[in-house]
Amino acid sequence: MSADSSTAVILPAPAAATPRTAPLAGVLVKTGHVLVGAIVPLLLLALWQHAASAHWLPVQLLPSPALVYASFIDLWQSGDLTSNLAISLKRVGWSLLLGGGAGLVLGVLFGFSRRARAYLYPTFEVVAQFPVIGWIPLLIIFVGIGEPLKVLAISLAVIVPVTVQTTKGIAQVPRPLLDVARVYRFSLAQTITRVVLPSALPTLFNGLRQAVMQAWLALVFVELLAAGEGVGYLMVWGRQLLQLDLVVVAMILIGLVGVVLDRLLAVLEHRLQRWRRNAF
Amino acid sequence: MFSLKTLRGPLARLALALTAFSVTVGAYAETPPTVIRVGVATPKTGNPPAFTVGPVGVAYTRGLIEEEFKKDNVKIDWVFFRGAGPAVNEALTNKQLDFAFQGDLPSLVGKAGGLNTRLIALAGTRQHVYLAVPPDSPIKSVKDLKGKRVGFSIGTNIQTPINRILAANGLTERDIRVVNLSVEGIAPALTSKSIDAVFSWVQILPLKDKGLARIVFSDHENAAYACNSGVLVTDEFARKYPQTTTRLLKALLPANRWLADPANTNAYISLVAQMGFPEKTLHEDQDGEDALLQSSPLLTDYALSLYQGVADDAFRLKLARTRVDVKQWADRSFLTAALQQAQLTGFWPTLDNNGRKLAAK
Repeated sequence: MSADSSTAVILPAPAAATPRTAPLAGVLVKTGHVLVGAIVPLLLLALWQHAASAHWLPVQLLPSPALVYASFIDLWQSGDLTSNLAISLKRVGWSLLLGGGAGLVLGVLFGFSRRARAYLYPTFEVVAQFPVIGWIPLLIIFVGIGEPLKVLAISLAVIVPVTVQTTKGIAQVPRPLLDVARVYRFSLAQTITRVVLPSALPTLFNGLRQAVMQAWLALVFVELLAAGEGVGYLMVWGRQLLQLDLVVVAMILIGLVGVVLDRLLAVLEHRLQRWRRNAF
Repeated sequence: MFSLKTLRGPLARLALALTAFSVTVGAYAETPPTVIRVGVATPKTGNPPAFTVGPVGVAYTRGLIEEEFKKDNVKIDWVFFRGAGPAVNEALTNKQLDFAFQGDLPSLVGKAGGLNTRLIALAGTRQHVYLAVPPDSPIKSVKDLKGKRVGFSIGTNIQTPINRILAANGLTERDIRVVNLSVEGIAPALTSKSIDAVFSWVQILPLKDKGLARIVFSDHENAAYACNSGVLVTDEFARKYPQTTTRLLKALLPANRWLADPANTNAYISLVAQMGFPEKTLHEDQDGEDALLQSSPLLTDYALSLYQGVADDAFRLKLARTRVDVKQWADRSFLTAALQQAQLTGFWPTLDNNGRKLAAK
């Protein structure tokens, strides 16, 4: 509102205002999006506050927002939050490297080799149906409940979306582009870096973003099951000691980190695809 | 003074009738609820699954509580929690229990978290704590635990002794890597060597006999490390059914009395062996214990001081939100009445703050 009136004062000629309102309008639209997006969380917060103060549920089951905030600050200051988060992120990081790497190799294989697809893809499709939770009993027997269990379980959650999307991305590379590459006698490396990768990139990133989300979900599950540290463990601790505010803090943290990871990937994708706009 | 004349009005008659009614009700027993829900912070173990440990286990096995309430057609609904004390707290939160037999730490955590309970009797004391490692482990003492993966059940009454044992060796929980294990998960975790050490109760000793574990530390020398557990009643139930509460405690007392006789120790150990423990193991665990002191249900000053110690530690270690004042929380009135009815007043020695016997009053 005030921004509007100030522009009106600074710019006397209405004609000159047109080009300058465009970015302003953009900012306003963006703020509008943020505001609209904040409505539901704010309503939920209000509902939570009301439910807590009206004691709809026992205090032990529904800690008040103020208590959760206090626990958050307390955990932050004691360093517990950051250390547990760092451990969880490390687990996800390793799994993304391991599972993502394996998924990429499989995806490229399936994408390029019709034979590999014929022999392996049906098996892969069946195996891909197993949820991570279904793998856990088997994994515990083979690798125990230590760090390998966590990294392997999360990696399994990562492999599937990365493989599927990589295969899809490569399969969707437009034929004419490949034909042109052939005409120009591109080497295999050139074909991959100049044609396949750029055109498959959006799909690849789609897979990666799905993978990160899956990894984050799997992480929480594995840490709930058997862990001595990490965000999931924080939740176990809170539950065992009837401090549900810790559980809520961990839940909010998981949500926020998930969003941040997704945004980061979106920014990265945007940067890597800058050529698209430059090309036109 | 007043004569009968003053009792002639209709109001006065009503008052008289009401007084007579309330006196009758007071003299007669209250009507107990149709179901009494009892939670036990221990899973049944053995084959067939049994719960035989402590006075509560003995009472359960013999159906003592059922017998007490048989004539009133009251059903006793026993629930055994695999998740131990913390799971009992969740059930109490959801108002699914009237009574709970639970370890000291979880019951204090529950009280500190706002659960409206009362501690009405002791259910077990001097439950021993062991630190076990795989036989070939380099861990030789508690000090060697630094940086190691150590498993136990978070939030059960073993956590306070663990913190005390660690502190006595210059460590805290932050110096070890805690892995939360269920009571049943402790032994498999150690045998599969997926963790470096476990803190456990008597459950771990059979592994030692099989050569699958080595005991690095046991608390037999220091009473401050042993775990205690108590009988809790919800405040709501105690207010609504005070007589039923007393009757339930009274029904337990024959079990306490039986355990107090050293002549029954071997029979008791055979009974506990039904939970899947070799008798040799149990003899080892019970070695040197005083049957009379161990069977005492009394909330003596000493027992309350042990509970207060746990409450203070729990608050300091942030296991509990607030510091529970155990003297305020404990309610000895039901046990006193039950002992009177069972003619067992003065049978168990009362102990002062330091565990010394007080002269009989």
